[in-house]
Amino acid sequence: MLQGKLYGSPQAAVADIPDGSTILVAGYAGYGIAEGLLAALLELGSKDLTIIYRDGPYSDMGLGALPSIEKLVSSGRVTKLISPIPYSPGSGSDIEECWQAGQLEIEIVPQGILVERLRAGGAGIGGVFLPTAIGTRFESGRERRTFPQGEAVLELPLKADYALIKVAEVDTLGNSIYHGSGRNWAPVMAMAARITIAEAERIVEPGELDPEAIISPGIFVNRIVAAT
Amino acid sequence: MPPRLDELTMARRAASELQPGQVAALGSGLPARVAEVVPNGAAIQLLSDGGALGYSLTGGADSAGGPSLCGPNGLPVALEKGGSVVGMADWAALLRGGHVEVAIVQPARVSAAGDLLGWTTAATPGLFAPGRTVDLAAGGCKVIAMLPHIGSDNSPNIVAESIPVADGRSCVSMVITDIAVIRVEDGVLVLSEVAPGWRFDDIAAMTGAPLSPSGDLKEMAPNLEHLKTERPGKVFPDGPSAITDLQDGATVMIDGFGGPGGMAHHLLVSLRDRGTKGLTIISNTIGIARIVNFGTPAGKLAIDHSILVENGQVAKAIATYPVSPSASRPSTFELAYRRGEVELELVPQGTLAERLRAGGAGIYAFYTPTGAGTLIAEGKESRVIDGKEYILEQALTADFCLIRGHKADTLGNVVYKGTSRNFNAVMAPSARVTIVEVDEVVEAGELAPELIVTPGIYVDRIVIRPEGFSPYE
Repeated sequence: MLQGKLYGSPQAAVADIPDGSTILVAGYAGYGIAEGLLAALLELGSKDLTIIYRDGPYSDMGLGALPSIEKLVSSGRVTKLISPIPYSPGSGSDIEECWQAGQLEIEIVPQGILVERLRAGGAGIGGVFLPTAIGTRFESGRERRTFPQGEAVLELPLKADYALIKVAEVDTLGNSIYHGSGRNWAPVMAMAARITIAEAERIVEPGELDPEAIISPGIFVNRIVAAT
Repeated sequence: MPPRLDELTMARRAASELQPGQVAALGSGLPARVAEVVPNGAAIQLLSDGGALGYSLTGGADSAGGPSLCGPNGLPVALEKGGSVVGMADWAALLRGGHVEVAIVQPARVSAAGDLLGWTTAATPGLFAPGRTVDLAAGGCKVIAMLPHIGSDNSPNIVAESIPVADGRSCVSMVITDIAVIRVEDGVLVLSEVAPGWRFDDIAAMTGAPLSPSGDLKEMAPNLEHLKTERPGKVFPDGPSAITDLQDGATVMIDGFGGPGGMAHHLLVSLRDRGTKGLTIISNTIGIARIVNFGTPAGKLAIDHSILVENGQVAKAIATYPVSPSASRPSTFELAYRRGEVELELVPQGTLAERLRAGGAGIYAFYTPTGAGTLIAEGKESRVIDGKEYILEQALTADFCLIRGHKADTLGNVVYKGTSRNFNAVMAPSARVTIVEVDEVVEAGELAPELIVTPGIYVDRIVIRPEGFSPYE
């Protein structure tokens, strides 16, 4: 079933994700994660994926954040992870094991830098000079320059093929609002991907959402599927 | 040895460092526990990268059923009255832009120079998870490190030698451990407080760097009474009283979009009446509404930037629309420019918005494709990135920003109506002093937290547009 942006199932919504894709996965510490879409991606079997996400499984919190990413990694489908906290060190996660076995590349990016690089990607900015990494291990290999405000490092934009986001409410044009921590990464990731797929708790008709309350305009949301 | 402090006592000591009106960003681990000890209704706001600005631990369930907002450790939190929901880009911008007074982090190690190591484990050499620590260390105006004084292997967590691969450089100004409070003063560690029963010599022996006792070395006694106070008020009686410190030569952001909607007209008139001279105005138009109709009633003139130009107050404009669309009806600014009385820096509209955002978000400069290969690119660095040509544009900041909101609460949280969100929302974070003119001021907690566009952290003063005020004269 295909009607406008609406897809009948998570499987249908992710069906064209090819091998080698770069995929943004929104969410924070277990909040606002499109579990249905991730499960469908696992089922689909695409491989050589690069996945950009905020945090991996937190064994000490019992939140079970992103178990699907861990499964994608342990089933050998992920080439690279880009994340501020790819896993909780010492937690014995499969991600840690695969990385130590050399089966996986991991790029750690502090979250404030990562989100700004994604925003730059989404907003057509060619690069931003940020002071954050100055003097830290994250400055290495980057261009440093002096500005009236101080020293800054050039951070380059990040873009992706797909973004998998969770939204609280969406209308059929894709206009989206979030609840609480669900807003955390999704609006920026929705801008930075060529195709953004939203898993929605509630789908409404255009005009039902308060226009002043919409966080992600529908222009950034390409596909919609109901959360189950 | 006397007992060491428990985590909550350490959290109380960190919280007692906060001052009324401040915003404190918390990291995970020990800092997250600060939220457990801050008294209800305290005159501070806590910021979590989970997206909560102004939160506490009481509750955590929202109206939709089930927790939806979390603290830095992933546990559910609730917004205090006047709290708002922010995204990750906002969180990073708040820190990088210098809007957060205190950042509290738990590093693995701190050096005498105030460097910190985020965290790492022997089990995973080379891979580590600094997560938010790098942003907190770089962003807080004052960075407090909370950590156990010694590691589980009894080695000191506070070290003399510089940390070669650091997650924060010369950033820590205070260290709170389970036995001591240490100030980092120009590379010297000064012991200012000890846990009950502990002596200087014992603490010095457990510290991996030279330690000097403070002249007023005392026993740690966390006290949060000073936080149980009223927040500094932000509501001013009228426009003139809100700009008494706006001096000659100031840079002032003031905007709306074209027509009469969305401009802080009352503040604009107040600024004209004040007569401040030599102003640099940053705006989208610099007085177009007065010469273009935009629905102005017959016999009236729209109030816009022209009133400042006419009054000889403007030295320079940084603007997108400096001229009238009609050559036969030049704007006041246009005429002044032709007479050589004012300077102009012309900025494309999208670039203006992005430069303003950069100013508020602590981005020093950025590459944009807009204007590449045009007159706009003259004198600017041009660079090809990934096969596309970009030019380097610089951040914009100002001394004052006069914005137009629809409603504000007493903490300065603002919602807009229609077009007024346009430039006002992006300007609000970019000035030293931001003043909002609204139709209505409500109590903290009356605005829906998910609907707040400009958090009160960006707003210093609030005035109500006088009843019956007309944007025409």
